[in-house]
Amino acid sequence: MAGLELLSDQGYRLDGRKAAELRKVQARMGVFAQADGSAYLEQGNTKALAVVYGPHEMRGSRSRALHDRAVINCQYSMATFSTAERKRRPHGDRKSTEMSLHLKQTFEAAVMTQLFPRSQIDIYVKILQSDGGNYSVCVNAATLAVINAGIPMRDYVCACTVGFVDETPLADLCYAEESGGVSSLALALLPRGGQIALLQMDARLHQDHLESLIEAAMTACKGVSKVLDEVVRQHLQEASVLTRE
Amino acid sequence: MATVQVSEAEKVYILHGIRDDLRVDGRGCEDYRHMEIETDVVSNTDGSAKVTLGHTAVLVGIKAEIGKPRPMVPNEGYLEFFVDCSANATPEFEGRGGEELGTELSNTLYRVFNNKHSLDLRSLCISPGEHCWVLYVDVLLLQCDGNLYDAMSVAIKAALFNTKIPRVNISSDDEGGKEIELSDDPFDCMRLDVENVPCIVTLCKVGHRHVVDATLQEKACSVASLLISVTHKGAVTCARKVGGGSLDPESVFEMTEAGKRVGKALHAPLMALLRQEESLGMKRHKVGFLG
Amino acid sequence: MAVDMRLPTVKSPPVSVLDRKDLVVPGDVITSDTGFMRGHGTYVDEDKLTASVAGKVQRVDKLICVRPLKTRFNGEVGDVVVGRITEVQQKRWKVETNSRLDSVLLLSSVNLPGGELRRRSAEDELTMREYLHEGDLISAEVQSVFSDGALSLHTRSLKYGKLGQGVLVQLSPSLIKRQKTHFHNLPCGASIILGNNGFVWLYPTPGQQEEEAGGFYTSLEPVSLSDREVISRLRNCLLALAAHKMLLYDTSVLYCYESSLQHQVKDVLKPEVMEEIVMLTQQKLLEQES
Repeated sequence: MAGLELLSDQGYRLDGRKAAELRKVQARMGVFAQADGSAYLEQGNTKALAVVYGPHEMRGSRSRALHDRAVINCQYSMATFSTAERKRRPHGDRKSTEMSLHLKQTFEAAVMTQLFPRSQIDIYVKILQSDGGNYSVCVNAATLAVINAGIPMRDYVCACTVGFVDETPLADLCYAEESGGVSSLALALLPRGGQIALLQMDARLHQDHLESLIEAAMTACKGVSKVLDEVVRQHLQEASVLTRE
Repeated sequence: MATVQVSEAEKVYILHGIRDDLRVDGRGCEDYRHMEIETDVVSNTDGSAKVTLGHTAVLVGIKAEIGKPRPMVPNEGYLEFFVDCSANATPEFEGRGGEELGTELSNTLYRVFNNKHSLDLRSLCISPGEHCWVLYVDVLLLQCDGNLYDAMSVAIKAALFNTKIPRVNISSDDEGGKEIELSDDPFDCMRLDVENVPCIVTLCKVGHRHVVDATLQEKACSVASLLISVTHKGAVTCARKVGGGSLDPESVFEMTEAGKRVGKALHAPLMALLRQEESLGMKRHKVGFLG
Repeated sequence: MAVDMRLPTVKSPPVSVLDRKDLVVPGDVITSDTGFMRGHGTYVDEDKLTASVAGKVQRVDKLICVRPLKTRFNGEVGDVVVGRITEVQQKRWKVETNSRLDSVLLLSSVNLPGGELRRRSAEDELTMREYLHEGDLISAEVQSVFSDGALSLHTRSLKYGKLGQGVLVQLSPSLIKRQKTHFHNLPCGASIILGNNGFVWLYPTPGQQEEEAGGFYTSLEPVSLSDREVISRLRNCLLALAAHKMLLYDTSVLYCYESSLQHQVKDVLKPEVMEEIVMLTQQKLLEQES
């Protein structure tokens, strides 16, 4: 991938997007009947399913229960056929464990856990097809699932991965860009208050650029939040046509 | 939800209903629930299918990779199965919770499908003893509402039907070494003959009768079940008793007969549906999970 | 033998695309007027009353709450529930009622055989499992709510107690309409308990002489085929109504039952039939209102 030009002179990216353009986001809430909440979300070619169970009584040892708030339990996994090279295990490897932890932290910041003392909320996300930005797509899908389950949240949590190429921030990286050696940054945002729920960057970047990169990430997250907002409102409308008394 | 609790009185109610051939959801003993099938749902696989049966939902993805043939059968390719009981289906499967069930399911699937009677394994051979296609069949359980085997087998048959394996050219260079070249043209591909691929019918013995396509509640009332795989001609390719209880020989015979009848009848509508979907071609509106 | 296989269909977009003001999503400011009280599904952020769930705004006097479309059961005192015993503990049973914590049924809040005023002895504690054991279904009423949100139930009335033969349907609590009574003997020949917690119990209408043994005796006599058919049809109708997010109460269930009569019981669950009978039910309900 070394010689690949990630941003052309005309300002177009590999898949023809502009620098700040997001991939197409499509989503649906309430895909499954048995879970308390569920959602499916695709962002370009990355597709994820999120399912929420709870809040419910603690499972397993009751000693893990917190007396003043709910415990959030996350599991991130990838379907074995989701990547170009077949995966051996869907979860349990180091990367998935890390992702699970990140998801947990992100949602602890947004869900009003203090309303459900001694309970547990399970959030399970599954990547069905992976094409970059897995973490962000999972967060976005899980947000919809939590809303579908009727669990109180301060705000949406929206996430986006941004990269930095030729002094330009690129929004919503796809796999080719992610693996092309771009310094990338994943950010989860509570858009209305502008609060950052998670910020992660593993690459090297000059300090001066950080601000513009975070700025770009926040703009991208707000873009995602608009789309999610539409999905939720559409779902509400569809579902409440008949419920009115 | 892999298991449900049922009270004694509920059990009695279900049992008597099955005796009268009227199940809780109004079905007769040999009726299936409403089934929805869609193929080609995951674009980075070589073949995929999604099947929902009642609330049970499974997604199957098939990836073809080049591997080495098994030494015993140098001129055949083979299939590998993996069943992922994901926590999405039920919190019980979180962490390693689904592994045991997953192994049991994938071993059974391997027995049923990986033999030359169900699929022409020789067509998967590229060069005998050296290279063959290995089909990795990965099943993802998304929701459990009983009767996993039947739903999985239908999904696997549909996914195999949908599988497109790129054509290969073998060229040998001067030193006698062989080089494998994959065709770049996405339309230049090999399809599998799924005519003989069997479908699994699980018969649950409830009281003195047996039912097909049992719900979780019915399964909770059953002592044991018999799983048989049937081809379109009505030939039984595999039979297996599952569950803790025991069955008497007479009822095994009865259940096999019923399973043959039901299994045979599954194939025709399935194949018709797959062909119908295929004939829609590019015009087909893909639904996936957005429907 | 019947197999019904088909390709998935795309659901048609909603009929009306009205911009309804009473529907909010998390983070929406409902009002910045400080004169209101904050109820369920809302929080106060910088003096602004903000929604925390997606749903419909309801205002009762000065109290504003948002009711989500789908949620766990949020029990209140006096609610009728149907639940399943999950655990037998000292002096109490744990009951699964679709709440965020398991509910509790104390030994002192049940009527034991032998009359209202019977003292509870140590022997009763030992034989608790004989009255109700794991897996049993009960109907009960919410007696109080503990500080952590868990519900305490009681069955101190002849209409509550252990449930016998019948069918349980688990739906979303928000679909159950609050009514004076949640116990109905439907004229179609079966009875229904519409638990506020979304658990609905369908059972054959009991005769006169039953309910003698304090509600712990259940008949295991076979239910007649005609009763079964009615119950199965009602079950499928409930699922059809729930799939289309219709409110459930005796009239809507009964109308749906009547609309479904031209179809076979097992066909009621087919998507196109569900749509048809729900449409018919809606029409009937509208006619009745006007």
